[in-house]
Amino acid sequence: MMKKSIFTICLLITIGFISFGQGKDPSVSNCVLNAGPDAKYLKDFRIQLGKASSQTELRYKANMSLWKNTKYRFTLCNTEGSKGQLILSIKDEANKLVLSSFDVKTGKTYPFVDFICNKSGIYQLNYDFINGQQGSGVGVVSMVK
Amino acid sequence: MKGRVFLLLIIIACFSCRNATVKTGEFVFPEADSVPVSEAEKLSPEAIADISKNITSPVEIANLLQTLEVPFSQNHLASSIDANKQSTNFDKALKLGILGADLGYLNMYEKTGSSLDVLSSIRKIAEDIKVGQFFDFESIKRLSQNRSNLDSLLFISIDSYTQIDNYLRANDRGQLSALMIIGVWIEGQYLATQVVSQFPDQRLRDRIGEQKIILNDLLLLVSPYCNRDSEFTELCRNLQEIKEKYRDIRISYTQGEPVSVEKNGGLTIQQTEKSVVEMSREQLDGIIEVTKNIRERLILNN
Repeated sequence: MMKKSIFTICLLITIGFISFGQGKDPSVSNCVLNAGPDAKYLKDFRIQLGKASSQTELRYKANMSLWKNTKYRFTLCNTEGSKGQLILSIKDEANKLVLSSFDVKTGKTYPFVDFICNKSGIYQLNYDFINGQQGSGVGVVSMVK
Repeated sequence: MKGRVFLLLIIIACFSCRNATVKTGEFVFPEADSVPVSEAEKLSPEAIADISKNITSPVEIANLLQTLEVPFSQNHLASSIDANKQSTNFDKALKLGILGADLGYLNMYEKTGSSLDVLSSIRKIAEDIKVGQFFDFESIKRLSQNRSNLDSLLFISIDSYTQIDNYLRANDRGQLSALMIIGVWIEGQYLATQVVSQFPDQRLRDRIGEQKIILNDLLLLVSPYCNRDSEFTELCRNLQEIKEKYRDIRISYTQGEPVSVEKNGGLTIQQTEKSVVEMSREQLDGIIEVTKNIRERLILNN
């Protein structure tokens, strides 16, 4: 009985390793899985930031083209030991805020944001940890139906 | 009387302003027809990395085709590429990009049989230009055969290409990175333009027209190498030909405020701003033709 249980655990661990990207950063793989079964992976951003002396704007910036008639999912994942929650805001080329995963009024953060894009263009993705905290995390961009 | 005229002018001015906000701005190429080499050389590594990330993923094109219920066609693949016949690094890097786009198309349609041939060619070419270590061939092959995990397959395939791209740029082989990215884009553009001829859907037409937004970035990426050798000079000329076909296509924008709603623990944002593409049938035909000619020249160059 004991041997059978050990064998089953070993088998499950092996399948777990084989089924998703051996040798890849597990925090990224896990975040890709967090995006959900209906999401198709497009890109990921690996964010590692120290504590900010003051926070006027989100510190990690990257550009990405987003296309109309597409529904994107932005998934935010923290890695263990992060002091704050990873947050995201997106601005368009005119520097207009398009979305934010953080509600300043209520202080609520969302683990993912679905964005139904109707204006093609190059957007600026801004990541940080809430209140400029130190942390590391992953932002995954996927397409959803 | 003067007061009434003044009032009338104010009313007209107000309505003019209101109309102006309906269509807000238009995308135009920068003034210069071609990007000066010196300007491109000034690009920081971060800026180049950003540009490479901006290029439309062939997976997004394939996703759009699936949404439009366009059936898969083997005819759109660059089947004539023989990995053993690529003599120069220029050819190899460009073909690596073209085959990467084909792999994205095959993956999205879960055509595992054909994807194994493409995978073998990618591995051969990647090893030839000494980036084979980043291409997770065995995992991709296994996930291709196991159709249940499309997302993992896309992740490992795209991640392999991202790693190759990062490595090339970090090791002063930026010209190969630029070629790979251009190969990916040309093949995605070829796929979209071939399909739109048979399935003239407005969404696909718009996606083709909107490539104008990133075309200049593509030229920026390759322009430092345009005088490097005859192969690069020809490629730059080809990209300028494509750019010329896009010159009179208009992309305008309408304003609106995003609408947000909480759903399943997350947030859903519906963008109400819109981009509008104005492209005639003749303009589209011109793009279809120039893309086909250039892509065919590139893949026949074995």
